Amino acid sequence: MSIMSQTTVLDRTPVRDESLAVRLQDVTVRFPTERGVVTALERVSLTIPSGGFLTLLGPSGCGKSTLLRVVSDLIPATSGQVEVLGTTAAAARARRDIGFVFQDASLLAWRTALENVQLPLEVGGRSKRGGARDARELLALVGLTGWENAYPHELSGGMRQRVAIARALINDPKLLLMDEPFGALDEIKRDRLNEELLRVWEETGATILFVTHSIYEAAFLGQQVMLMAARPGRVREIVPVDLPSPRRVALRETPQFIALAAHLRTVLEAC
Amino acid sequence: MSMPALSSHDASEITSADAEAQAGFAAAARLAAWRRRLLPLAAVIALLVLWELGVMIFKIRPFIAPAPTAVAMTLYGKLGMLLGNLLPTAIEAVAGFLIGNSAAILLATTFVYQRTAEEALFPIAVMFHTIPVMAYAPILVLLLGNGLEAKVAIAALICFFPTLVNMTRGLRSVSSQQMELMRILSATPSEIFFKLRLKSSLPYLFSALKIASATSVIGAIVGEWIGATTGIGALIIQATYNFDSPLLYATIVVGSAFSAAFFAVISWLERYFLKWNVAQTA
Repeated sequence: MSIMSQTTVLDRTPVRDESLAVRLQDVTVRFPTERGVVTALERVSLTIPSGGFLTLLGPSGCGKSTLLRVVSDLIPATSGQVEVLGTTAAAARARRDIGFVFQDASLLAWRTALENVQLPLEVGGRSKRGGARDARELLALVGLTGWENAYPHELSGGMRQRVAIARALINDPKLLLMDEPFGALDEIKRDRLNEELLRVWEETGATILFVTHSIYEAAFLGQQVMLMAARPGRVREIVPVDLPSPRRVALRETPQFIALAAHLRTVLEAC
Repeated sequence: MSMPALSSHDASEITSADAEAQAGFAAAARLAAWRRRLLPLAAVIALLVLWELGVMIFKIRPFIAPAPTAVAMTLYGKLGMLLGNLLPTAIEAVAGFLIGNSAAILLATTFVYQRTAEEALFPIAVMFHTIPVMAYAPILVLLLGNGLEAKVAIAALICFFPTLVNMTRGLRSVSSQQMELMRILSATPSEIFFKLRLKSSLPYLFSALKIASATSVIGAIVGEWIGATTGIGALIIQATYNFDSPLLYATIVVGSAFSAAFFAVISWLERYFLKWNVAQTA
């Protein structure tokens, strides 16, 4: 159940493994601050198989967001190895293989839903790849047909987050990083978007790394749940999730799910 | 808001009572809209009538306070001369507006990319801003002469500071997640500037431009007070010295009508360019 056994088997051989979407080995991130050096991540190791869905669960300050930013080349690792889609994080980002969905939708207020989804096609010209998806199709995929010409202020919070997901998918990324994307939504919307995200995941075949502070969301979405502890941010345990698929919200009432959630809670409380 | 109806089946469920309530609501909204327009107009008319009556009843001499009808007569009789004097003032104000705001936008852009420039120059800009127009206007007339240039410079300077402050804040009003998004997309610095920073700054810029549209006219008029033979400012001074109060008031009416028109043009541009802005559409 622990990651430790997995990584010892896996490593020692720095072979680039194409079947792995993400491989972190002993990644440490430190920031200098006014109150001295803060260790955001300490010797974090993890692997996500290609096409996998890993949820990151932990208290605030455990470095979940930092981890996403290391994988997407927004923050450099102080030490350790970072391998994304068989190459460096920077190369994967430059190849447009990484999509990122932020905590707030971060839409550009002066662009319509459709124009927001198309933004990635208009910037960073030289690194653009051929295989871009159709923006209207993506809006349909996230259930926003008929809203193409609406401005962000005309959309609800949930709809804005759907636009952000469509935008992250426009370059057909192999890896989708999501930083508490549904954290600000009410529970009913969140449930619906969770189901839809699983559908999008199956449809696109992308690998997803999803940060959340909700136990239920983590258990419902992930094939694996990685529990993290804070100060310094480190891996506590990686729990495989053996739940039938396709998953529906009703799954949460099954004894199997309740037992899993209880286990996650126990580990979290011990952090 | 023109949104596609997602739940069109709801429409059939609306009963006649609902339709009636809806009609009542629309009527109330129309009435409220008319009240907003008509009440200020009625107040202005009432004030003018009171003023006219006051001048008549208390037999106030025209050079102390002219009756509104006397001002209107002057406005009508001397309209050509008044407009002839408005032209140089308008040119000075608009030229000053363009130069002052362009300079402010350029400097704000520099500030955002060169912190050192901001640290070095911003205190100087604040210092200049604390000097009253009336104090630096004569200096500029001495420096630039009695022509158009000095007035344009005064109008430009008076526009400059509010736009500099607002534009700097506007260009910085980009969220850290939006910046991260652009970095993940490998956006170039110029793409970040034109597609993100500049667009984000527009609401801030337009609120500064609206202020500047009024102050640039003030700047031009103040410049004309110091030394000019034509223009609204010069006319104000002449009318005052000649105790020609109806002309003085008529000049003020023409000057403020121009200010209001200038402001209206900028407001229209704002609505045109910021259709997406919640504050504007709400």
